[in-house]
Amino acid sequence: MNEQQQKILLEIINIVRENKDLPPVTELRGEQNLMADLGFDSLDLAELAVRCEKEFGIDIFEDSIVTKVEEVMEKINV
Amino acid sequence: MSELFWIDDLTKKTYADLIHDLNHFKSASGIIFEKEPYWVFLKMLHSAVNEYPVTLLDGGFTKEELVINGVFDNEQEKAVHGKWRQFDSWADIKKQILNSSKTWQMTLLTSGTTGVPKKITHSIQSLTKAVKIFDTKKADIWGFAYNPAHMAGLQVFWQAFLNQNPMINVFRKSADQVKEEIQKYKITHISATPTFYRLIWDKNEQFPSVRHISSGGERFPSDLKVKLLQMFPNARIRNIYASTEAGSLFAADGEYFHIPERLQTRVRIEGDELLIHKEIIGSSDDFQCTGDWYHTGDIVEAEMRDSGVFFKFLHRKNEMINVGGSKVNPLEIEQELCRINGIKNAKVYGKNNSVTGKILCADVSGKNINEKEIRKILSDRLNPVNIPRIIQFVDKIEQTRTGKLQR
Repeated sequence: MNEQQQKILLEIINIVRENKDLPPVTELRGEQNLMADLGFDSLDLAELAVRCEKEFGIDIFEDSIVTKVEEVMEKINV
Repeated sequence: MSELFWIDDLTKKTYADLIHDLNHFKSASGIIFEKEPYWVFLKMLHSAVNEYPVTLLDGGFTKEELVINGVFDNEQEKAVHGKWRQFDSWADIKKQILNSSKTWQMTLLTSGTTGVPKKITHSIQSLTKAVKIFDTKKADIWGFAYNPAHMAGLQVFWQAFLNQNPMINVFRKSADQVKEEIQKYKITHISATPTFYRLIWDKNEQFPSVRHISSGGERFPSDLKVKLLQMFPNARIRNIYASTEAGSLFAADGEYFHIPERLQTRVRIEGDELLIHKEIIGSSDDFQCTGDWYHTGDIVEAEMRDSGVFFKFLHRKNEMINVGGSKVNPLEIEQELCRINGIKNAKVYGKNNSVTGKILCADVSGKNINEKEIRKILSDRLNPVNIPRIIQFVDKIEQTRTGKLQR
């Protein structure tokens, strides 16, 4: 995943967080758990999936549920 | 003014023109398939006064589309010959239609929002059962805001024609054009969908000439009456329940329809669906009744009051969106969105998603507001599952050919 893609993913994650009144995160780390660390629930994950699909053309949840940021990055990278 | 029959951008016809055109009409056939509303009316009147059956097709489609759907019958398109009746006055035509055209039949198509359109055959009695003819209605001037090939448009046509009223075409016009026509022709009556009213609504403008507003075809939002009264302070606001199958059935001052005594044995609510007795719907081979009852597919909420049974329309049977197991009614969310200052119109829909099955999305038209602000306002009013997760600003929300939101 290149720097530009990472920047877009960070923006998307912060849009979802902002809509939940959560402060933005400044950086993404692979080990971050989407639910425990980023505060996402199932509806937020659905929103993340739709926004990622719009930006990257990939449904990150198509094959299986992803739980960590690194898994999202891997899917986008494929 | 009372001499005028039909006015739109291309056509200005008086009742004298209509009689002349009817007496000189040369292209009778069993199908009415016209783009221009005047021709729809002329051909329909010609078939009614001369009592040959016709099928009315929506001229907004192409012939190919109708052939594919199996609703265009080439046999029916052939010319119909006969010795046609001649008329001296509007009153003669009216007399012929109301007293003599007992055998006339006209077949309509449902708007077909789901699946293949269904054919429904009506008589002059079933088409005009809600028409009120009084001397006091002679001065009515109608804003024509429906597709002329659909039931709602026909209801307006017959109401206007049988009272010799002018009709001004405002269907699919911009908000500014509609307002201009209301002022120019001093329109007194408008019948349209809530979507139409939402698009023309402006709290800073008033139109005192309008005395009667009917709303139908879609759910009547709870705040619509107040908004309409701001814009049309002299109008009586009526919410109409009608369908292609049954024509106009109920009228109410607000969201709740009262089931009048005369209809109590012909209408019932089973589960939460409205059922109509086959006696009061048009005839058709395209839909089945269960026993004597036609399932409308309209989900309603019933309320028992001292004065009888009331119901309000909630949504169409298959319209709910399943978001992670929760059923969401898009109409309710649209209503909330339209209550927000700056939003003119909204459409809510489900988008496929691998996490929750569907995710709620909204297209909105409006200005001076952004996605974040909309979600903030909605979060104070709605359950999180009911808040659209993707909100997109669009210039225009598409409408169906009947003037409803395109779903």
